[in-house]
Amino acid sequence: SVSHSQITRLYSRFTSLDKGENGPLSREDFQRIPELAINPLGDRIINAFFPEGEDQVNFRGFMRTLAHFRPIEDNEKSKDQNGPEPLNSRSNKLHFAFRLYDLDKDDKISRDELLQVLRMMVGVNISDEQLGSIADRTIQEADQDGDSAISFAEFVKVLEKVDVEQKMSIRFLH
Amino acid sequence: LAAGAAEARATSEGQLPGAAAMGTGTPPSPSGTAFEETRLHVFTLDYPHVQIPFEITLWILLASLAKIGFHLYHKLPSIVPESCLLILVGLLLGGIIFGAEEKSPPVMNSDVFFLYLLPPIVLDAGYFMPTRLFFENFGTIFWYAVVGTLWNAIGIGISLYGICQISAFGLTDITLLQNLLFGSLISAVDPVAVLAVFENIHVNEQLYILVFGESLLNDAITVVLYNLFKSFCQMRTIKVIDIFAGIANFFIVGIGGVLIGILLGFVAAFTTRFTHKIRVIEPLFVFLYSYLSYITAEMFHLSGIMAITACAMTMNKYVEENVSQKSYTTIKYFMKMLSSVSETLIFIFMGVSTVGKNHEWNWAFVSFTLLFCLIWRALGVFVLTQIINVFRTIPLTFKDQFIIAYGGLRGAICFSLVFLLPPAVFPRKKLFITAVIVVIFFTVFIQGITIRPLVEFLDVKRSNKKQPAVSEEIYNRFFDHVKTGIEDVCGHWGHNFWRDKFKKFDNKYLRRLLIRENQPKSSIVSLYKKLEIKHAIEMAESGMISKVPSSVSLSDYHEGKIKPLSPTEMENMREILTKNLYQIRHRTMSYNRHSLAADANEKQAKEILIRRRHSLRESLRKTNSLSRERPVLA
Repeated sequence: SVSHSQITRLYSRFTSLDKGENGPLSREDFQRIPELAINPLGDRIINAFFPEGEDQVNFRGFMRTLAHFRPIEDNEKSKDQNGPEPLNSRSNKLHFAFRLYDLDKDDKISRDELLQVLRMMVGVNISDEQLGSIADRTIQEADQDGDSAISFAEFVKVLEKVDVEQKMSIRFLH
Repeated sequence: LAAGAAEARATSEGQLPGAAAMGTGTPPSPSGTAFEETRLHVFTLDYPHVQIPFEITLWILLASLAKIGFHLYHKLPSIVPESCLLILVGLLLGGIIFGAEEKSPPVMNSDVFFLYLLPPIVLDAGYFMPTRLFFENFGTIFWYAVVGTLWNAIGIGISLYGICQISAFGLTDITLLQNLLFGSLISAVDPVAVLAVFENIHVNEQLYILVFGESLLNDAITVVLYNLFKSFCQMRTIKVIDIFAGIANFFIVGIGGVLIGILLGFVAAFTTRFTHKIRVIEPLFVFLYSYLSYITAEMFHLSGIMAITACAMTMNKYVEENVSQKSYTTIKYFMKMLSSVSETLIFIFMGVSTVGKNHEWNWAFVSFTLLFCLIWRALGVFVLTQIINVFRTIPLTFKDQFIIAYGGLRGAICFSLVFLLPPAVFPRKKLFITAVIVVIFFTVFIQGITIRPLVEFLDVKRSNKKQPAVSEEIYNRFFDHVKTGIEDVCGHWGHNFWRDKFKKFDNKYLRRLLIRENQPKSSIVSLYKKLEIKHAIEMAESGMISKVPSSVSLSDYHEGKIKPLSPTEMENMREILTKNLYQIRHRTMSYNRHSLAADANEKQAKEILIRRRHSLRESLRKTNSLSRERPVLA
């Protein structure tokens, strides 16, 4: 769990984002964050905060999403695995990232979905064909069951050498 | 230049042919009316009239042409730092002048250096300093700058004194104080060349700000120490009270300089509040006030460098919001231009002044100076880092320490300081000059050229380099963007009581006083607002915006088997990706004396904003058209 001082600080951040309504945050509140406006994946990240179909997120939901980015403590790794898996486990972090790709929530990243994310991340100087072949190559490197899409298991496998724990952890969420 | 002067003399003599031919001993009067009228000259050459501005212009022109020359071979600046090349040009030029006139070429006047050449460089550094990161690391920066410089100065001074005691070297007439003075002037680290190399080395932001900040603060300390020891050298007896006065002087000089800078920075910000009717000369205020802070501080013998840095850092935020976008661009570019020219001139002069009869060579002194500089710097960085790592949240690694230590290049400041030594008090001045020049050349050439390969070597050793998959870069960049985005949602990382307090004070009082209209705080939002429609139209016209994969093109995809790619094709793909993937938004723009890297980030930011705006509008239009269609279908 997150420390008390961190919760207080994040709550004050939550309220400062909420311009005047003193309630849950809406998408516009997030879009007002200037640094997020120039993040290529800004829209997807904002979507990640809002649960399925809803347009508002309360503080609990806000914290829930942020909890994915808590660094993994060493002593947690050896903890008893009988309880529910913590939100910041490697698997859950990967699931969070997977959901950013998978818009239609069919547990598969199709070529379209991959292309959309790629197009967002890439400048305007790449042609559609080049991007298409890059997307093909990406799928080919991950795809094992030959369905030309990346399932969650394949996603995990492809990233097994990547230090996801470090890349998806924010230091001060301790 | 000498030839030109001779010509001019000859011509002006030629203007009075009549008088000379007379040879009667009467001095020829300038009007020539004594014996014969001079005819009206159709063409005259009057060099002395324009000599000074002409020479200055030629020097600056030469420096700039040299820079063009370097970049003709595009690989050259990345292998050899520009400073080296400029010194070489200077050496060449000095050699020519020496050969032509058989006397030492003009040495850089220290007044010219300290009053005209140095301020633009410091102003440039201070203006583009990322203030938040600077203050977050202020403790470490201060530690390295003050304690590190003191350590270096005293260490080098005392060890050199020890060497001087050995009578075999013929150096026994150099006193302890003189050695300490020499030590203090040679410990002035000038990491300009390192900063230029930093762009190619991947350094973490903490390290970058440490080196950057240290260079600014330690200049001031070096000058203070220098003046202190110089006065000590000239006093016959030194009482304990003098030492305390010296310490007190240090604080007064530093803090006084900063106060002057801050005061004038606020005045500058306040002035720009009212300049919206005279946009054209807005940039002038920035330069005038900063230069004023420098020379005011120098007038009181306070630290001009700290003053101009403080002034630039103070007025930066407020001025940015008050001036027009065009003035802001002008300020940035003009500042870069001035500092670039200054730096170029300094290095060329260094080369020119090296040639000549100013030298006295003594193997022991010179080699031991070089040795001690290296040893004490390495030791100092190592020891200081061990201590400061205890207090830091993010400790400095061995690679960081190596970069800081190896990047301790010496430059123009110690060069000028050594020329400033009064020869009456320092009979061995020429020896000092030679030693300083050797150290500067060694650090600039050898260390400057080899630092990049060494760091790359260190990097390679640490990370296991296997052939990365094409998709790996995509995933890595993807994670980085997500992480940056979430960090931005959470707000500033790190939480500081004093900074929050200052922000409150700033919002309540300072901003109301110093800023003209209530404008959005972030430069990114103001960028968004100032986004010219022209850009958006241009992009739309060239078809760049509409690159959302339409459903038509997607259905063209055949369900065939994806063919495996050859290594060259993979390499191509990787190259395309590296060039085109959007960069992570850096919190600190990488500093480069010679270009405004902010432009690249701004370009990317503009592009992203336009595309998102467009796609938002597109999706809104789609939902509107859909809702309009439904009644029709129904």
